[in-house]
Amino acid sequence: MKIIVITGTRKGIGKALAEYYLDAGWQVAGCSRGESSIQHEAYAHFALDVSDEAAVIKMARTLKKQFGKVDALLNNAGIASMNHALLTPASTVNRILQTNVVGTFLFCREMAKLMRRTKAGRIVNFTTIAHPLNLEGEAIYAASKAAVESLTRILARELAELKITVNAVGPTPVETDLIRGVPADKMAALLARQAIPRIGDVKDVINAVEFFVRPESDFITGQVLYLGGVC
Amino acid sequence: MPNRSEIEALILESVRQLAEDFEINALLTPTADSALYGNAGLLDSMALVNLIADIEEAVSEAFDASIALADEKAMSAKNSPYRNVSSLTEAVMERIAK
Repeated sequence: MKIIVITGTRKGIGKALAEYYLDAGWQVAGCSRGESSIQHEAYAHFALDVSDEAAVIKMARTLKKQFGKVDALLNNAGIASMNHALLTPASTVNRILQTNVVGTFLFCREMAKLMRRTKAGRIVNFTTIAHPLNLEGEAIYAASKAAVESLTRILARELAELKITVNAVGPTPVETDLIRGVPADKMAALLARQAIPRIGDVKDVINAVEFFVRPESDFITGQVLYLGGVC
Repeated sequence: MPNRSEIEALILESVRQLAEDFEINALLTPTADSALYGNAGLLDSMALVNLIADIEEAVSEAFDASIALADEKAMSAKNSPYRNVSSLTEAVMERIAK
């Protein structure tokens, strides 16, 4: 059975991804700060903060004992905070960087160790169109995802020798908690900047993720795929 | 807490297995003095990455301890803990004791 690790599975895109891979017959190991919202015999939940190094290492050790390997990792967990830069406290900056950058890095590092022997590991990180569009009000969120993109490209090179591919998907706004609270006029202006000006669906994200995860994509690494025609 | 000889034995076995995988003949029968990484070392960076991951896994399985060998202390140490089997043994002992 194939094993996939998905971070941030309590709700939104992460939960939908977990359910998609469970339906497809994968063993899913998910995590979130709180308890699980998924009940399935092939789902294992870990309550942790993705930026807690010791907790991530402990999760990796448990996965090694239970399953012996990991085939794929989806670094979905992320937080955003929409605010003008002049009104953004340092505590918010640190919180976003910890979850989005440090968390992504720690999971890449620890799960790559468990992918070594499969010779076909897959890592998919999550970025955002807020980065290429340079969205006002998203300075720290976009900057954190710029770091994730850089991490993706460099890890793609470092992990290529281990036959692990590392790519990133950059969704448009999707109806989740992450964008709840964004004013309607801001959302309309944002969608107008996409080549395909509609709000994204979870299915759009799953399609892009699955493209990178499938076995035939073993010659694709270091790529960032934005949805909605953003470039 | 495992003693030094138990940890050293675990590291020697990890090195031996790695030497087989990477076809490094000089490390097929490693000793405490075997040079691993750095000036006189026989491992390239990819072999070292694999060895560190192997040892972390082996420590977890044998002693039920979650350690990270590539920590701040290892990065800033004047003498790399990866230079030979003996120094790696010290590094593992220190981290298990934490």
